[in-house]
Amino acid sequence: MARRRAKYAGYSFLIPWLVGFFGLTLGPALASLYLSFTHYDLIESPRWAGLANYIRIVSEDAKVGDSVRVTLVYVALSVPLKLGFALAIALILNKGIRGLGVYRALFYLPSLLGASVAIATLWRKVFSGDGLLNHVLAYVGIQGPSWVSDPDHALWTLVALSVWQFGSPMIIFLAGLRQLPQDIFEAAAIDGASARTQFWRITLPMLTPVIFFNLVVQTIDAFKAFTPAFIVSGGTGGPINATLFYTLYLYQEAFGYLRMGYAAALAWLLVLAIMAVTAFAFMTSRSWVHYEE
Amino acid sequence: MRNRPLSRSLLYHAVLCGASLVMLYPLLWMFASSLKPNSEIFSSVALRPEHLDLSAYTRGWTGLQIQFGHFFVNSLVISVLSVIGNVLSCSLTAYAVSRLVFPGRKLCFSLMLGTLMIPYQVTLIPQYILFLHFEWVNTIMPLVVPKFLAADAFFIFLLTQFFRGLPRELDEAAVMDGCSPWRIYWNIILPLSLPALGTAAIFTFIFTWDDFFGPLVYLTDMENFTVQLGLRGFLDSSGQSDWGAMFAMAVLTLAPVLAFFLFFQRTLIQGIATTGMKR
Repeated sequence: MARRRAKYAGYSFLIPWLVGFFGLTLGPALASLYLSFTHYDLIESPRWAGLANYIRIVSEDAKVGDSVRVTLVYVALSVPLKLGFALAIALILNKGIRGLGVYRALFYLPSLLGASVAIATLWRKVFSGDGLLNHVLAYVGIQGPSWVSDPDHALWTLVALSVWQFGSPMIIFLAGLRQLPQDIFEAAAIDGASARTQFWRITLPMLTPVIFFNLVVQTIDAFKAFTPAFIVSGGTGGPINATLFYTLYLYQEAFGYLRMGYAAALAWLLVLAIMAVTAFAFMTSRSWVHYEE
Repeated sequence: MRNRPLSRSLLYHAVLCGASLVMLYPLLWMFASSLKPNSEIFSSVALRPEHLDLSAYTRGWTGLQIQFGHFFVNSLVISVLSVIGNVLSCSLTAYAVSRLVFPGRKLCFSLMLGTLMIPYQVTLIPQYILFLHFEWVNTIMPLVVPKFLAADAFFIFLLTQFFRGLPRELDEAAVMDGCSPWRIYWNIILPLSLPALGTAAIFTFIFTWDDFFGPLVYLTDMENFTVQLGLRGFLDSSGQSDWGAMFAMAVLTLAPVLAFFLFFQRTLIQGIATTGMKR
Protein backbone atom coordinates (compact mmCIF):
# COMPACT_ATOMS: atom_id res chain seq x y z
CA MET A 1 0.00 0.00 0.00
CA ALA A 2 2.73 2.41 1.01
CA ARG A 3 4.65 1.32 -2.03
CA ARG A 4 1.76 2.04 -4.29
CA ARG A 5 1.37 5.48 -2.79
CA ALA A 6 5.05 6.12 -3.33
CA LYS A 7 4.67 5.04 -6.92
CA TYR A 8 2.35 7.93 -7.65
CA ALA A 9 3.91 10.48 -5.28
CA GLY A 10 5.71 11.96 -8.27
CA TYR A 11 2.47 13.36 -9.60
CA SER A 12 1.83 15.42 -6.51
CA PHE A 13 5.07 17.27 -7.27
CA LEU A 14 4.03 17.71 -10.85
CA ILE A 15 0.71 19.38 -10.06
CA PRO A 16 1.86 22.95 -10.79
CA TRP A 17 3.53 21.89 -14.01
CA LEU A 18 0.56 19.77 -15.10
CA VAL A 19 -1.84 22.66 -14.52
CA GLY A 20 0.50 24.94 -16.46
CA PHE A 21 1.05 22.47 -19.26
CA PHE A 22 -2.62 21.83 -19.91
CA GLY A 23 -3.93 25.28 -18.98
CA LEU A 24 -1.24 27.54 -20.41
CA THR A 25 0.48 25.54 -23.14
CA LEU A 26 -1.39 22.59 -24.65
CA GLY A 27 -4.90 24.02 -24.25
CA PRO A 28 -4.04 27.46 -25.63
CA ALA A 29 -1.99 25.96 -28.46
CA LEU A 30 -4.99 23.90 -29.59
CA ALA A 31 -7.31 26.85 -29.06
CA SER A 32 -5.12 29.04 -31.24
CA LEU A 33 -5.14 26.36 -33.93
CA TYR A 34 -8.94 26.48 -33.86
CA LEU A 35 -9.00 30.30 -33.82
CA SER A 36 -6.74 30.39 -36.84
CA PHE A 37 -9.68 29.05 -38.85
CA THR A 38 -12.05 31.75 -37.58
CA HIS A 39 -12.63 35.48 -37.57
CA TYR A 40 -12.54 36.70 -34.00
CA ASP A 41 -12.43 40.24 -32.61
CA LEU A 42 -12.81 39.49 -28.86
CA ILE A 43 -16.29 41.04 -28.84
CA GLU A 44 -18.48 38.75 -30.91
CA SER A 45 -17.94 35.00 -30.74
CA PRO A 46 -15.58 33.47 -33.30
CA ARG A 47 -17.04 32.94 -36.79
CA TRP A 48 -15.82 29.95 -38.78
CA ALA A 49 -13.77 31.11 -41.73
CA GLY A 50 -12.29 27.94 -43.10
CA LEU A 51 -8.96 28.59 -44.75
CA ALA A 52 -9.70 32.27 -45.38
CA ASN A 53 -7.02 33.53 -42.96
CA TYR A 54 -4.35 31.31 -44.42
CA ILE A 55 -5.31 32.20 -47.97
CA ARG A 56 -5.12 35.88 -47.15
CA ILE A 57 -1.69 35.44 -45.54
CA VAL A 58 -0.26 33.55 -48.46
CA SER A 59 -1.73 35.44 -51.37
CA GLU A 60 -3.43 38.69 -50.45
CA ASP A 61 -1.60 40.48 -47.68
CA ALA A 62 1.42 42.39 -48.97
CA LYS A 63 2.53 43.28 -45.46
CA VAL A 64 3.05 39.58 -44.71
CA GLY A 65 5.44 39.43 -47.64
CA ASP A 66 7.33 42.45 -46.29
CA SER A 67 7.51 41.06 -42.79
CA VAL A 68 8.66 37.61 -43.94
CA ARG A 69 11.39 39.19 -46.05
CA VAL A 70 12.52 41.48 -43.20
CA THR A 71 12.58 38.58 -40.75
CA LEU A 72 14.50 36.26 -43.06
CA VAL A 73 17.06 38.94 -43.87
CA TYR A 74 17.43 39.68 -40.17
CA VAL A 75 17.94 36.01 -39.31
CA ALA A 76 20.30 35.40 -42.23
CA LEU A 77 22.47 38.42 -41.36
CA SER A 78 22.42 38.52 -37.59
CA VAL A 79 22.93 34.85 -36.74
CA PRO A 80 26.10 34.18 -38.81
CA LEU A 81 27.64 37.55 -37.87
CA LYS A 82 26.88 37.05 -34.19
CA LEU A 83 28.27 33.52 -34.13
CA GLY A 84 31.29 34.60 -36.19
CA PHE A 85 32.22 37.30 -33.68
CA ALA A 86 31.47 34.96 -30.78
CA LEU A 87 33.78 32.27 -32.16
CA ALA A 88 36.55 34.69 -33.14
CA ILE A 89 36.71 36.31 -29.72
CA ALA A 90 36.38 32.95 -27.96
CA LEU A 91 39.36 31.64 -29.94
CA ILE A 92 41.48 34.61 -28.92
CA LEU A 93 40.40 34.32 -25.29
CA ASN A 94 41.29 30.63 -25.38
CA LYS A 95 44.94 31.42 -26.14
CA GLY A 96 45.70 31.50 -22.44
CA ILE A 97 45.56 35.25 -22.30
CA ARG A 98 45.95 37.29 -19.12
CA GLY A 99 42.83 38.94 -17.79
CA LEU A 100 40.56 36.33 -19.33
CA GLY A 101 37.94 36.79 -16.62
CA VAL A 102 37.78 40.55 -17.12
CA TYR A 103 37.47 40.35 -20.90
CA ARG A 104 34.89 37.59 -20.69
CA ALA A 105 32.79 39.66 -18.30
CA LEU A 106 33.05 42.81 -20.44
CA PHE A 107 32.01 40.98 -23.60
CA TYR A 108 29.17 39.29 -21.78
CA LEU A 109 27.70 42.48 -20.34
CA PRO A 110 25.84 43.54 -23.53
CA SER A 111 24.13 40.14 -23.70
CA LEU A 112 22.79 40.64 -20.23
CA LEU A 113 21.56 44.19 -20.82
CA GLY A 114 20.62 43.95 -24.49
CA ALA A 115 17.02 42.80 -24.15
CA SER A 116 15.95 45.85 -22.18
CA VAL A 117 14.06 48.87 -23.41
CA ALA A 118 16.88 51.06 -22.12
CA ILE A 119 19.31 49.61 -24.64
CA ALA A 120 16.79 49.72 -27.50
CA THR A 121 16.17 53.42 -26.87
CA LEU A 122 19.90 54.01 -26.60
CA TRP A 123 20.27 52.29 -29.96
CA ARG A 124 17.74 54.61 -31.47
CA LYS A 125 19.84 57.56 -30.37
CA VAL A 126 23.20 56.06 -31.32
CA PHE A 127 22.01 55.56 -34.90
CA SER A 128 19.87 58.67 -35.31
CA GLY A 129 20.84 61.51 -37.63
CA ASP A 130 22.53 63.53 -34.90
CA GLY A 131 23.49 60.43 -32.95
CA LEU A 132 26.73 59.05 -31.59
CA LEU A 133 27.72 57.08 -34.69
CA ASN A 134 27.45 60.04 -37.02
CA HIS A 135 29.44 62.22 -34.61
CA VAL A 136 32.20 59.61 -34.70
CA LEU A 137 31.97 59.32 -38.49
CA ALA A 138 32.21 63.09 -38.79
CA TYR A 139 35.74 62.89 -37.36
CA VAL A 140 36.81 60.94 -40.42
CA GLY A 141 34.90 63.20 -42.76
CA ILE A 142 31.89 60.98 -43.43
CA GLN A 143 28.43 62.42 -43.15
CA GLY A 144 26.17 59.51 -42.25
CA PRO A 145 22.43 59.36 -42.81
CA SER A 146 19.87 58.95 -40.07
CA TRP A 147 20.36 55.23 -39.89
CA VAL A 148 17.16 54.38 -38.04
CA SER A 149 14.88 56.36 -40.34
CA ASP A 150 16.48 55.34 -43.62
CA PRO A 151 14.73 52.27 -45.09
CA ASP A 152 17.99 50.97 -46.55
CA HIS A 153 19.80 51.01 -43.22
CA ALA A 154 17.19 50.62 -40.49
CA LEU A 155 17.32 46.84 -40.44
CA TRP A 156 21.11 46.96 -40.18
CA THR A 157 20.88 48.85 -36.91
CA LEU A 158 18.85 45.94 -35.51
CA VAL A 159 21.35 43.45 -36.88
CA ALA A 160 24.07 45.46 -35.16
CA LEU A 161 22.12 45.34 -31.90
CA SER A 162 21.90 41.56 -32.15
CA VAL A 163 25.57 41.13 -33.04
CA TRP A 164 26.49 43.43 -30.15
CA GLN A 165 25.11 40.71 -27.88
CA PHE A 166 27.50 38.00 -29.03
CA GLY A 167 28.66 37.44 -25.44
CA SER A 168 26.50 34.50 -24.46
CA PRO A 169 27.28 32.29 -27.49
CA MET A 170 30.91 33.33 -26.94
CA ILE A 171 30.80 31.92 -23.41
CA ILE A 172 29.35 28.67 -24.74
CA PHE A 173 32.07 28.49 -27.41
CA LEU A 174 34.72 29.16 -24.79
CA ALA A 175 33.38 26.37 -22.57
CA GLY A 176 33.42 24.06 -25.60
CA LEU A 177 36.98 25.04 -26.54
CA ARG A 178 38.22 24.33 -23.05
CA GLN A 179 36.84 20.81 -23.18
CA LEU A 180 38.79 19.84 -26.28
CA PRO A 181 41.35 17.16 -25.35
CA GLN A 182 44.80 18.76 -25.34
CA ASP A 183 46.70 15.58 -26.22
CA ILE A 184 45.37 15.68 -29.79
CA PHE A 185 46.85 19.13 -30.29
CA GLU A 186 50.16 18.04 -28.81
CA ALA A 187 50.25 14.99 -31.10
CA ALA A 188 49.41 17.18 -34.10
CA ALA A 189 52.14 19.67 -33.18
CA ILE A 190 54.69 16.87 -32.92
CA ASP A 191 53.62 15.67 -36.36
CA GLY A 192 54.31 19.16 -37.64
CA ALA A 193 50.78 20.49 -38.11
CA SER A 194 50.74 24.28 -38.30
CA ALA A 195 48.42 26.35 -36.13
CA ARG A 196 46.20 26.93 -39.14
CA THR A 197 45.98 23.22 -39.96
CA GLN A 198 45.22 22.46 -36.33
CA PHE A 199 42.37 24.95 -36.38
CA TRP A 200 40.75 23.67 -39.57
CA ARG A 201 41.40 19.98 -38.98
CA ILE A 202 40.98 19.63 -35.24
CA THR A 203 39.46 22.64 -33.45
CA LEU A 204 36.66 23.38 -35.87
CA PRO A 205 35.49 19.77 -36.48
CA MET A 206 35.55 18.99 -32.77
CA LEU A 207 33.64 22.17 -32.00
CA THR A 208 30.83 21.45 -34.47
CA PRO A 209 28.40 20.14 -31.81
CA VAL A 210 28.72 23.47 -29.97
CA ILE A 211 28.44 25.43 -33.21
CA PHE A 212 25.32 23.46 -34.06
CA PHE A 213 23.78 24.12 -30.65
CA ASN A 214 24.47 27.87 -30.85
CA LEU A 215 23.19 27.99 -34.42
CA VAL A 216 19.86 26.39 -33.55
CA VAL A 217 19.30 28.42 -30.37
CA GLN A 218 20.24 31.74 -31.95
CA THR A 219 18.21 31.10 -35.09
CA ILE A 220 15.04 30.31 -33.14
CA ASP A 221 15.70 33.34 -30.98
CA ALA A 222 16.16 35.60 -34.00
CA PHE A 223 12.84 34.45 -35.44
CA LYS A 224 11.15 35.41 -32.17
CA ALA A 225 12.83 38.82 -31.71
CA PHE A 226 10.38 41.60 -30.96
CA THR A 227 11.42 44.31 -28.50
CA PRO A 228 14.29 45.89 -30.48
CA ALA A 229 12.16 46.36 -33.61
CA PHE A 230 9.23 47.62 -31.57
CA ILE A 231 11.24 50.25 -29.70
CA VAL A 232 13.59 51.35 -32.46
CA SER A 233 10.72 51.82 -34.91
CA GLY A 234 8.33 53.21 -32.29
CA GLY A 235 5.99 50.23 -32.74
CA THR A 236 5.40 50.84 -36.43
CA GLY A 237 7.95 48.56 -38.07
CA GLY A 238 8.88 51.55 -40.18
CA PRO A 239 10.34 53.26 -42.08
CA ILE A 240 8.17 51.77 -44.88
CA ASN A 241 8.01 48.37 -43.15
CA ALA A 242 11.81 48.12 -43.21
CA THR A 243 11.86 46.76 -39.65
CA LEU A 244 8.47 45.09 -39.65
CA PHE A 245 9.47 41.83 -37.99
CA TYR A 246 6.97 39.03 -38.42
CA THR A 247 6.37 39.03 -34.66
CA LEU A 248 5.74 42.78 -34.73
CA TYR A 249 3.19 42.41 -37.52
CA LEU A 250 1.52 39.63 -35.55
CA TYR A 251 1.31 41.90 -32.52
CA GLN A 252 -0.20 44.73 -34.58
CA GLU A 253 -2.82 42.43 -36.08
CA ALA A 254 -3.74 40.92 -32.70
CA PHE A 255 -3.66 43.89 -30.36
CA GLY A 256 -3.81 46.80 -32.77
CA TYR A 257 -6.65 45.63 -35.01
CA LEU A 258 -8.04 42.85 -32.76
CA ARG A 259 -7.92 40.37 -35.63
CA MET A 260 -7.32 37.46 -33.29
CA GLY A 261 -8.09 34.69 -35.75
CA TYR A 262 -5.77 36.15 -38.34
CA ALA A 263 -3.01 36.63 -35.78
CA ALA A 264 -3.44 33.03 -34.60
CA ALA A 265 -2.96 31.85 -38.18
CA LEU A 266 0.18 34.01 -38.41
CA ALA A 267 1.41 32.44 -35.17
CA TRP A 268 0.88 28.91 -36.41
CA LEU A 269 2.77 29.63 -39.60
CA LEU A 270 5.61 30.96 -37.47
CA VAL A 271 5.66 27.68 -35.52
CA LEU A 272 5.71 25.69 -38.73
CA ALA A 273 8.55 27.85 -40.06
CA ILE A 274 10.60 27.43 -36.89
CA MET A 275 9.95 23.69 -36.85
CA ALA A 276 10.92 23.40 -40.50
CA VAL A 277 14.16 25.34 -40.01
CA THR A 278 15.04 23.29 -36.93
CA ALA A 279 14.26 20.02 -38.69
CA PHE A 280 16.36 21.15 -41.65
CA ALA A 281 19.24 21.98 -39.33
CA PHE A 282 19.05 18.56 -37.69
CA MET A 283 18.89 16.81 -41.06
CA THR A 284 21.93 18.56 -42.47
CA SER A 285 23.75 18.21 -39.17
CA ARG A 286 24.55 14.57 -39.95
CA SER A 287 26.88 15.66 -42.69
CA TRP A 288 28.78 18.35 -40.81
CA VAL A 289 28.41 17.89 -37.06
CA HIS A 290 31.03 15.61 -35.61
CA TYR A 291 29.96 13.64 -32.55
CA GLU A 292 32.47 11.66 -30.59
CA GLU A 293 31.76 7.99 -30.25
CA MET B 1 53.88 27.15 -28.72
CA ARG B 2 53.64 28.07 -25.06
CA ASN B 3 56.35 30.72 -25.27
CA ARG B 4 54.42 32.92 -27.60
CA PRO B 5 56.32 35.96 -28.84
CA LEU B 6 55.46 39.11 -26.94
CA SER B 7 54.24 40.85 -30.10
CA ARG B 8 51.56 38.21 -30.64
CA SER B 9 50.35 38.63 -27.10
CA LEU B 10 50.22 42.40 -27.48
CA LEU B 11 48.24 42.02 -30.68
CA TYR B 12 45.64 39.90 -28.90
CA HIS B 13 45.29 42.42 -26.11
CA ALA B 14 45.00 45.26 -28.62
CA VAL B 15 42.20 43.46 -30.46
CA LEU B 16 40.37 42.61 -27.26
CA CYS B 17 40.72 46.08 -25.75
CA GLY B 18 39.63 47.70 -29.00
CA ALA B 19 36.62 45.44 -29.30
CA SER B 20 35.51 45.96 -25.72
CA LEU B 21 35.92 49.73 -26.02
CA VAL B 22 33.75 49.85 -29.14
CA MET B 23 31.16 47.65 -27.48
CA LEU B 24 31.02 49.46 -24.19
CA TYR B 25 31.30 53.02 -25.52
CA PRO B 26 27.55 53.38 -26.18
CA LEU B 27 26.84 52.34 -22.59
CA LEU B 28 29.36 54.78 -21.19
CA TRP B 29 28.03 57.48 -23.48
CA MET B 30 24.51 56.89 -22.22
CA PHE B 31 25.65 57.20 -18.63
CA ALA B 32 27.66 60.31 -19.42
CA SER B 33 24.74 61.83 -21.32
CA SER B 34 22.50 61.40 -18.31
CA LEU B 35 24.84 63.78 -16.48
CA LYS B 36 24.90 66.44 -19.17
CA PRO B 37 22.45 69.22 -19.98
CA ASN B 38 20.33 68.37 -23.05
CA SER B 39 22.10 70.90 -25.23
CA GLU B 40 25.38 69.08 -24.74
CA ILE B 41 24.22 65.49 -25.38
CA PHE B 42 24.18 65.60 -29.16
CA SER B 43 26.91 68.14 -29.65
CA SER B 44 29.83 65.98 -28.57
CA VAL B 45 30.88 62.39 -28.24
CA ALA B 46 33.07 63.12 -25.25
CA LEU B 47 32.28 61.27 -22.06
CA ARG B 48 33.22 63.97 -19.60
CA PRO B 49 30.39 66.48 -19.22
CA GLU B 50 31.47 70.09 -19.62
CA HIS B 51 28.78 71.12 -17.20
CA LEU B 52 27.83 68.46 -14.69
CA ASP B 53 24.06 68.53 -14.52
CA LEU B 54 22.08 66.09 -12.42
CA SER B 55 18.73 67.65 -13.18
CA ALA B 56 17.97 64.99 -15.80
CA TYR B 57 17.40 62.56 -12.95
CA THR B 58 14.85 64.74 -11.22
CA ARG B 59 13.19 65.62 -14.54
CA GLY B 60 12.96 61.94 -15.45
CA TRP B 61 11.75 60.86 -12.04
CA THR B 62 8.84 63.27 -12.15
CA GLY B 63 8.54 63.80 -15.91
CA LEU B 64 5.60 61.49 -16.62
CA GLN B 65 2.12 61.73 -15.14
CA ILE B 66 3.17 59.17 -12.58
CA GLN B 67 6.43 59.22 -10.66
CA PHE B 68 9.03 56.86 -12.00
CA GLY B 69 9.47 55.37 -8.54
CA HIS B 70 5.99 53.93 -8.87
CA PHE B 71 7.13 51.89 -11.89
CA PHE B 72 10.08 50.64 -9.88
CA VAL B 73 7.77 49.34 -7.18
CA ASN B 74 5.58 47.61 -9.78
CA SER B 75 8.58 46.00 -11.46
CA LEU B 76 10.01 44.94 -8.15
CA VAL B 77 6.76 43.30 -7.01
CA ILE B 78 6.38 41.40 -10.29
CA SER B 79 10.02 40.33 -10.35
CA VAL B 80 10.16 39.16 -6.73
CA LEU B 81 6.91 37.19 -7.02
CA SER B 82 8.18 35.68 -10.28
CA VAL B 83 11.41 34.59 -8.62
CA ILE B 84 9.52 32.90 -5.79
CA GLY B 85 7.07 31.23 -8.18
CA ASN B 86 9.67 30.08 -10.65
CA VAL B 87 12.06 28.67 -8.07
CA LEU B 88 9.31 26.83 -6.22
CA SER B 89 7.41 25.40 -9.15
CA CYS B 90 10.44 24.55 -11.27
CA SER B 91 12.25 22.87 -8.39
CA LEU B 92 9.15 20.77 -7.58
CA THR B 93 8.91 19.71 -11.20
CA ALA B 94 12.63 19.07 -11.53
CA TYR B 95 12.63 17.02 -8.33
CA ALA B 96 9.82 14.81 -9.63
CA VAL B 97 11.44 14.08 -12.98
CA SER B 98 14.98 13.69 -11.66
CA ARG B 99 14.60 11.84 -8.33
CA LEU B 100 11.25 10.06 -8.26
CA VAL B 101 10.14 7.01 -10.20
CA PHE B 102 6.58 6.97 -11.49
CA PRO B 103 4.83 5.81 -14.63
CA GLY B 104 4.84 8.43 -17.37
CA ARG B 105 7.94 10.20 -16.11
CA LYS B 106 9.77 9.96 -19.42
CA LEU B 107 6.72 11.21 -21.29
CA CYS B 108 6.46 14.24 -19.00
CA PHE B 109 10.10 15.01 -19.51
CA SER B 110 9.78 14.87 -23.29
CA LEU B 111 6.74 17.13 -23.13
CA MET B 112 8.82 19.64 -21.17
CA LEU B 113 11.48 19.44 -23.86
CA GLY B 114 8.77 20.02 -26.43
CA THR B 115 7.49 23.19 -24.78
CA LEU B 116 10.95 24.72 -25.14
CA MET B 117 10.46 24.65 -28.90
CA ILE B 118 7.06 26.34 -28.95
CA PRO B 119 7.26 30.10 -29.49
CA TYR B 120 5.11 32.11 -27.11
CA GLN B 121 3.16 33.65 -29.98
CA VAL B 122 1.20 30.42 -30.39
CA THR B 123 -0.22 30.41 -26.90
CA LEU B 124 -0.36 34.19 -26.62
CA ILE B 125 -3.82 34.87 -28.00
CA PRO B 126 -5.78 32.11 -26.20
CA GLN B 127 -3.90 32.96 -23.00
CA TYR B 128 -4.91 36.56 -23.43
CA ILE B 129 -8.55 35.56 -23.95
CA LEU B 130 -8.36 33.29 -20.89
CA PHE B 131 -6.94 36.05 -18.69
CA LEU B 132 -9.49 38.46 -20.09
CA HIS B 133 -12.25 36.12 -18.89
CA PHE B 134 -10.61 35.89 -15.48
CA GLU B 135 -10.58 39.73 -15.49
CA TRP B 136 -6.85 39.59 -14.94
CA VAL B 137 -5.92 41.97 -17.73
CA ASN B 138 -4.41 45.15 -16.32
CA THR B 139 -3.30 43.29 -13.17
CA ILE B 140 -0.02 41.58 -12.44
CA MET B 141 -1.68 38.14 -12.41
CA PRO B 142 -1.01 37.18 -16.08
CA LEU B 143 2.65 38.01 -15.54
CA VAL B 144 3.07 36.24 -12.21
CA VAL B 145 0.71 33.25 -12.14
CA PRO B 146 2.42 31.35 -15.03
CA LYS B 147 5.64 31.53 -13.03
CA PHE B 148 3.99 29.51 -10.26
CA LEU B 149 3.01 26.88 -12.84
CA ALA B 150 6.53 26.04 -14.06
CA ALA B 151 5.75 27.60 -17.43
CA ASP B 152 9.40 28.25 -18.28
CA ALA B 153 10.90 24.84 -19.06
CA PHE B 154 14.39 26.26 -19.25
CA PHE B 155 14.60 26.52 -15.49
CA ILE B 156 13.24 23.00 -15.07
CA PHE B 157 16.21 21.77 -17.08
CA LEU B 158 18.70 23.87 -15.20
CA LEU B 159 17.52 22.37 -11.91
CA THR B 160 17.03 18.84 -13.26
CA GLN B 161 20.66 18.80 -14.32
CA PHE B 162 21.78 19.87 -10.89
CA PHE B 163 19.50 17.51 -8.96
CA ARG B 164 20.71 14.56 -11.01
CA GLY B 165 24.23 15.27 -9.85
CA LEU B 166 23.36 14.87 -6.16
CA PRO B 167 24.19 11.41 -4.72
CA ARG B 168 21.26 9.00 -4.75
CA GLU B 169 22.36 7.50 -1.44
CA LEU B 170 20.97 10.57 0.29
CA ASP B 171 17.44 9.79 -0.82
CA GLU B 172 17.84 6.09 -0.06
CA ALA B 173 19.12 6.72 3.44
CA ALA B 174 16.31 9.21 4.04
CA VAL B 175 13.69 6.73 2.85
CA MET B 176 15.16 4.13 5.24
CA ASP B 177 14.71 6.62 8.04
CA GLY B 178 11.07 7.03 7.03
CA CYS B 179 11.34 10.34 5.21
CA SER B 180 8.52 11.19 2.81
CA PRO B 181 9.39 12.51 -0.66
CA TRP B 182 8.22 15.93 0.47
CA ARG B 183 10.66 16.02 3.37
CA ILE B 184 13.45 14.79 1.13
CA TYR B 185 12.67 17.59 -1.28
CA TRP B 186 12.42 20.29 1.39
CA ASN B 187 15.08 19.19 3.89
CA ILE B 188 17.69 17.52 1.69
CA ILE B 189 17.48 18.43 -1.98
CA LEU B 190 16.69 22.14 -1.69
CA PRO B 191 19.35 22.99 0.91
CA LEU B 192 21.96 21.13 -1.15
CA SER B 193 20.95 22.93 -4.32
CA LEU B 194 21.32 26.53 -3.21
CA PRO B 195 23.84 27.40 -5.95
CA ALA B 196 21.51 26.15 -8.70
CA LEU B 197 18.48 27.75 -7.08
CA GLY B 198 20.43 30.98 -6.83
CA THR B 199 21.31 30.88 -10.52
CA ALA B 200 17.68 30.24 -11.40
CA ALA B 201 16.56 33.06 -9.11
CA ILE B 202 19.00 35.61 -10.56
CA PHE B 203 18.15 34.76 -14.16
CA THR B 204 14.44 34.83 -13.41
CA PHE B 205 14.78 38.23 -11.82
CA ILE B 206 16.73 39.69 -14.73
CA PHE B 207 14.46 38.19 -17.39
CA THR B 208 11.34 39.41 -15.62
CA TRP B 209 12.79 42.84 -14.93
CA ASP B 210 13.72 43.21 -18.61
CA ASP B 211 10.50 41.74 -19.97
CA PHE B 212 8.76 44.18 -22.25
CA PHE B 213 6.32 42.10 -24.24
CA GLY B 214 4.31 40.66 -21.33
CA PRO B 215 3.69 44.03 -19.66
CA LEU B 216 3.01 45.63 -23.05
CA VAL B 217 0.21 43.16 -23.71
CA TYR B 218 -1.28 42.93 -20.24
CA LEU B 219 -0.72 46.27 -18.49
CA THR B 220 -2.71 49.12 -19.96
CA ASP B 221 -3.07 51.67 -17.16
CA MET B 222 -0.02 53.77 -16.54
CA GLU B 223 -0.52 53.19 -12.84
CA ASN B 224 0.41 49.51 -13.35
CA PHE B 225 3.35 50.09 -15.70
CA THR B 226 6.70 48.42 -15.14
CA VAL B 227 9.94 50.35 -15.61
CA GLN B 228 10.27 49.05 -19.17
CA LEU B 229 6.88 50.44 -20.13
CA GLY B 230 7.62 53.63 -18.22
CA LEU B 231 10.77 54.17 -20.27
CA ARG B 232 8.76 53.85 -23.41
CA GLY B 233 6.59 56.67 -22.10
CA PHE B 234 9.47 59.04 -22.77
CA LEU B 235 9.52 57.99 -26.41
CA ASP B 236 5.78 58.25 -26.86
CA SER B 237 5.64 61.93 -26.18
CA SER B 238 6.67 62.62 -29.76
CA GLY B 239 8.42 65.69 -31.04
CA GLN B 240 11.05 67.07 -28.75
CA SER B 241 11.84 64.23 -26.40
CA ASP B 242 13.76 64.95 -23.24
CA TRP B 243 16.67 62.65 -24.01
CA GLY B 244 18.62 63.55 -20.92
CA ALA B 245 15.73 62.54 -18.69
CA MET B 246 15.21 59.39 -20.70
CA PHE B 247 18.84 58.37 -20.47
CA ALA B 248 18.81 59.08 -16.76
CA MET B 249 15.85 56.76 -16.21
CA ALA B 250 17.34 54.19 -18.61
CA VAL B 251 20.47 54.14 -16.44
CA LEU B 252 18.31 53.61 -13.36
CA THR B 253 16.41 50.73 -14.94
CA LEU B 254 19.69 49.06 -15.85
CA ALA B 255 21.10 49.52 -12.35
CA PRO B 256 19.58 46.39 -10.74
CA VAL B 257 20.76 44.20 -13.60
CA LEU B 258 24.20 45.79 -13.42
CA ALA B 259 24.30 45.13 -9.69
CA PHE B 260 23.56 41.45 -10.25
CA PHE B 261 26.23 41.41 -12.91
CA LEU B 262 28.83 42.93 -10.60
CA PHE B 263 28.11 40.65 -7.66
CA PHE B 264 27.20 37.38 -9.38
CA GLN B 265 29.13 37.61 -12.62
CA ARG B 266 30.75 34.20 -12.10
CA THR B 267 27.46 32.49 -11.32
CA LEU B 268 25.83 34.01 -14.39
CA ILE B 269 28.65 33.03 -16.73
CA GLN B 270 28.75 29.53 -15.27
CA GLY B 271 25.01 29.23 -15.72
CA ILE B 272 25.32 30.07 -19.40
CA ALA B 273 28.31 27.80 -19.97
CA THR B 274 26.60 24.79 -18.39
CA THR B 275 23.01 25.19 -19.56
CA GLY B 276 23.40 27.01 -22.83
CA MET B 277 21.05 29.75 -21.69
CA LYS B 278 20.68 32.12 -24.57
CA ARG B 279 21.34 35.34 -22.75
